Amino acid sequence: MTPAHAAVETEITVSEAVTFPDGIPGFEACRHWVVMAAEAATPLRRLHAIDGTEASFLAIDPRSVLEGYRCELSAADRLRLGAREDEPLLWLALVMMEPSGALTVNLRAPIVINPRTMTGQQVLPHNCLYPLRHVLLPAE
Amino acid sequence: MLVFTRRKHEAIMIGDGVEVRILRVGKEGVRLGIVAPPEVRVHRREIYDQIRDANQSAVVTPGQFTQLADRLKKAK
Repeated sequence: MTPAHAAVETEITVSEAVTFPDGIPGFEACRHWVVMAAEAATPLRRLHAIDGTEASFLAIDPRSVLEGYRCELSAADRLRLGAREDEPLLWLALVMMEPSGALTVNLRAPIVINPRTMTGQQVLPHNCLYPLRHVLLPAE
Repeated sequence: MLVFTRRKHEAIMIGDGVEVRILRVGKEGVRLGIVAPPEVRVHRREIYDQIRDANQSAVVTPGQFTQLADRLKKAK
């Protein structure tokens, strides 16, 4: 994107990364991830796995997609994240490009990160009925 | 694959911390109760597979990344 963006990628070390103890489904070996702002003042983020099968994802705050978006974390989820009661957490939904060219977003299984403990996981809430592929932009 | 015959209320242990108990056996299916430590995540297999497939289709190359971010920015 910009030279500064590229520089950030090369300087990242594991200590600055968010630890995902189980990786995420399909990327179980990816234990360390970095979160980068795609661009200032947008809800877009870039998630990049720095170990396992290196992979990049585009992610967006689900609350910027759907007003009032809310998923309840289970006690076990909170424990895994080391999240205290009412602790601010970073919620991100992964963006997918469909074969049709449409952009969809996974509101069903959000990525949740605790910035204090630098721990993250993909949550599969049992009570979350948001779509797995919510259309963000139709095919061009 | 390890195969067991179990009846209602019987259970199996997986390792030291995971218990799978048969709660009900019916025509429609078998109801299982699972006790596991919090670090062990338990999911229905088909849900896990759906999320895995979605994650795999979410991978973007650096080129796609810029293109997608631009498309989303323009749409705002």
